[in-house]
Amino acid sequence: MALYELLNLTFQFLDSFAFIVLATVGLAIIFGMMGIINLAHGEFILVGAYATTLSFNLLGVPLVLAMLVGIIATTVYGIILERLIIHRLYGRLLDSMVVTFGISLVMIQLTRIVFGNSLDQIGTPFGGISYGVYSYSAYRIMLAGAAILTLAALYVVFTRTTFGIKARATIQDEETARSMGVDTDRMYLSTFAIGSALAGLTGALYAPTITMSPDLGANFLVEAFVAVVVGGPSVLIGTSLAGGFLGTIDAIFTYVGGTFIGQVALLTAAIFAIRFLPDGITGLLEDIRAKRREAQ
Amino acid sequence: MSYPSISRRRVLAGGTAGALAALGGCLEEGGVVGGGNGNGDDGPTIGILEDRSGEFALNGTSKWQSSLLAVEEINENGGVLGEEIEVYDPDPQSDNQRYQELTREAINSEDVDALWAGYSSATREAIRPIINDEEQLYFYTTQYEGGVCDRTTFAMGATARQQLGAVIPYMIEEYGPRIYTIAADYNFGQISGDWVRILAEEHGAEVLDEEYIPLGETDFGSTINNIQGEDPDFIASMLVGDSHTNFYEQRADTGLDIPMASSTTMAQGYEHLRVEPPALEDMYVGVNYMQEIETESSQEFVDSFYEMFPDADYLNQEAQNNYFSVHMWADAVERAGTFDQEEVIAELESGIEVDAPEGTIELDPATHHMTHHMRIGHADENHEVTFDEEQYIEPSFLHEVGCDLTSESEQTQYEPEEFYDAI
Amino acid sequence: MSSDSSASLAARLRAPFEGPNTIGNSNGFWASFGVAVLLLAIYPVLFGPYAAATSSVFLVYALLGVSLCFIWGFCGILSFGQVAFFGVAGYTFGIVAINLSSYTGVTLGIVAGIAVATLFAALLGYFMFYGGVRDVYVTIITLVVALVLHTFLGQTAGSEWAVGEAALGGFNGMVGIPDLGVGVGDVGITLDGAMHYYAALAALIATYLGLRVLVNSQFGYAMVATREDEARTEMFGYNTTFIKFVTFTIGGALAGLSGVLFVTWGNYIDPSEFAITAAAMPVIWASIGGRESIFGTIAAAIAIQWLELQLTGEWALVIVGSLLIIVMLAIPKGIAPGIRDLIVALQTRRQEPASDSPAPTEEVSD
Repeated sequence: MALYELLNLTFQFLDSFAFIVLATVGLAIIFGMMGIINLAHGEFILVGAYATTLSFNLLGVPLVLAMLVGIIATTVYGIILERLIIHRLYGRLLDSMVVTFGISLVMIQLTRIVFGNSLDQIGTPFGGISYGVYSYSAYRIMLAGAAILTLAALYVVFTRTTFGIKARATIQDEETARSMGVDTDRMYLSTFAIGSALAGLTGALYAPTITMSPDLGANFLVEAFVAVVVGGPSVLIGTSLAGGFLGTIDAIFTYVGGTFIGQVALLTAAIFAIRFLPDGITGLLEDIRAKRREAQ
Repeated sequence: MSYPSISRRRVLAGGTAGALAALGGCLEEGGVVGGGNGNGDDGPTIGILEDRSGEFALNGTSKWQSSLLAVEEINENGGVLGEEIEVYDPDPQSDNQRYQELTREAINSEDVDALWAGYSSATREAIRPIINDEEQLYFYTTQYEGGVCDRTTFAMGATARQQLGAVIPYMIEEYGPRIYTIAADYNFGQISGDWVRILAEEHGAEVLDEEYIPLGETDFGSTINNIQGEDPDFIASMLVGDSHTNFYEQRADTGLDIPMASSTTMAQGYEHLRVEPPALEDMYVGVNYMQEIETESSQEFVDSFYEMFPDADYLNQEAQNNYFSVHMWADAVERAGTFDQEEVIAELESGIEVDAPEGTIELDPATHHMTHHMRIGHADENHEVTFDEEQYIEPSFLHEVGCDLTSESEQTQYEPEEFYDAI
Repeated sequence: MSSDSSASLAARLRAPFEGPNTIGNSNGFWASFGVAVLLLAIYPVLFGPYAAATSSVFLVYALLGVSLCFIWGFCGILSFGQVAFFGVAGYTFGIVAINLSSYTGVTLGIVAGIAVATLFAALLGYFMFYGGVRDVYVTIITLVVALVLHTFLGQTAGSEWAVGEAALGGFNGMVGIPDLGVGVGDVGITLDGAMHYYAALAALIATYLGLRVLVNSQFGYAMVATREDEARTEMFGYNTTFIKFVTFTIGGALAGLSGVLFVTWGNYIDPSEFAITAAAMPVIWASIGGRESIFGTIAAAIAIQWLELQLTGEWALVIVGSLLIIVMLAIPKGIAPGIRDLIVALQTRRQEPASDSPAPTEEVSD
């Protein structure tokens, strides 16, 4: 019996972890690497989710293919937006917040005007895993795997490829990178495209599990922001650790006290984390590393 | 869209020149530049404030549409007291502050003769102070937690007592006495949860546990585990809103096949059409109306609704309530022979019957609520809806607490926990 | 009285309100300020008390916008949570005024509302600034605080969540909040309808003039220096942490004042005041109007809220959102500083070198 309850808790943690990581990762890249606070992040996820659902419902393509359509659509959308609007906002952190809030208002309402108040929802594949009297959605557990894979793939792209090194160089010192022959303009565009693609991926992956309405993006926004800030400047490690930390808090408190307590605990933990770790978890790691270096 | 546009009065219309002469002691009477009560004599206007964007657009849009349908039918038949009804219908965008602003605008500038406004209880409570101040005749048409006893407010929707009073006893009889309640964590959900307890006690059943879930929550993994741990005979679900709809999807996904009783699903947000079957299999909902009801009056209504709004998503119970109450108001005005709100209220309180799509129903003069034809709507594994056990249920809770607006004017909302020990 | 001495009297009167930190220091500015005040003052006469009662809330919003403009534009602290202080003051006023249902209660409620909001801002400010939280992280903490209040108050529906007679009311909100008033016991005046409008207008003008004095004082210079370069200001011997703490607290108090005016307008408050869309509004007003211009923020708040109310169709939100994008891209600093730059540019072209024309009020940055 106790074993089954432990499984409950583990699955709830994985579910929560996957949600936080996938909600955050696109936002974290755009914020951490480009200094743009994208308040329309939720609506990028919306594009991914709608494109997936529409291509599945209308074209009848298999789910995986529909998800691919969702990712591509969001990427293209992100590229257009970057060229039209976002590229004017580099170096204007707070302004970017206001402009993207405007984008979010427009997108939600345009989606409503074009597609109505809801879309028919795709059913969740794979069914449940049963153990004892309990069961848990296999798909939602699988999402935890998808989250880890995504982080791993990003790690490879940004540390092992020339593109990743150029992109990071651009973000660290644009002048120098440009003088070394890097097309910094293109680097910004590509990074934004990757951030958009990740938002699209999140939308695609969650499309079979959430209600398709124009304001679905709001479901992701709060967790994403909290995790970005708790994670701190190092995007990938920060996102993983924040997902782990916040996922644990959420799972345990939800398990003990119900969903309301879980939500409040998550937000309160975030406030304290920011207060005591102003540079996030990765900022703390940097500090420790620096101190150790001094000691040597 | 293909419906005729309804002319809307402009605030600034009217002769400024004459009014300018009155500059000075005009503070009593509205201003010198239009506005005020300058709309006294150019025909009747009703205010329809229903959400077409924002959180409640899914529920609000058809409320707005069916109100326009009712107005069009009335105007085609020569209007009310020989005058065409005009409509003031800006979109409140599910925003309570906007509702407050628009309500003041509707009452003070548009001088509406009757007002229909709001989906959520929060909206109703946000505008009720203004409505009370101005003694505005107001129709609230959403199914709700019940208990509002207010001299100028007429609650057209079925109350929690009427809906749950139909479905909970039915479920106890069909499936057994062990109930697990999940409800949205706010006033409506908590009061509905209280009603489930009261009804359980009245019928010798037991509520094993209650879980109140914040609005906007999308992850129900732990809730489902908790339900599985208790293994109830049925679930009483009063979840609300788009995010909560995820519960049904996740229920099907995890293979949880315990039947559900509800007052909130299907008849408002048409989850049975939006979510892929069999997510709502064995959902039983207590309702006064759904577009699937196959009576003649219902099907006529459905036909004319979709004729006017071919692209409409769904015709929900609230839309029906808006529709019949606009007709009922027009009828009361005809009988009173005036648009004067006090006299129309008196006429409504004299006892009035209306042929609604759900059937012929009557207004209860003492409580300003409707006696409704309550049915049990059941969704099967393909989400086909069938109906059972039609009962004619009056708004009994307000009678029990002694609300009698014909003799005593009140502006309160009663809650069951003040009157029952079961809670 | 000679015109000469009256001119110098006017100059002396104006002196405390002017300085390098405010945008409008010219005769032309004060003339248009006078016209704006006059127009707002006779608005209820022109359009009637009903229109005034409806429009009163725009002035309240303007005051909320000012509370953000002051801390963001002049000290560089972007708070996304001004609505937290706004809402807390509103709920506090409701609790006090409902329980002590008399003029004493209402008067005490005003004091309590502002006091609690101020204290709350001071606590949060202390927690953040003395803990080394800065920049965008301040923004996010303040937003999260507002969201915590949103979640918490949303579930306070049961009777256990009542303070005396006043039920918090959960998602449905707190109802039956009394009108604004001043007095003791049964003696006093109720400020509703057009009177509420005038009360809000008076509060707004007083705040505006008071803040102009403040930002042009020694403290104001220190605030702007902190905004421009915190490390350097610190090196000059200023305690920038304390400056930010005080500024943030004053901002909280002003938001509290607007919160009290807000709940007495609608006699109602609910948790949606703390939601992300509500929290974004002050940021929008200050951005569009120009966060370094109090006057610009006021004008933007009134204009945007008025426009939103006029736009009624399904395209309303699309239009508002597009306006936001276009203004921010075309005039990054906001409309009021944009106009200022335009005027300065015109003047310098016409009469260069700008001898005795009002000095171009560029900030002394660095």
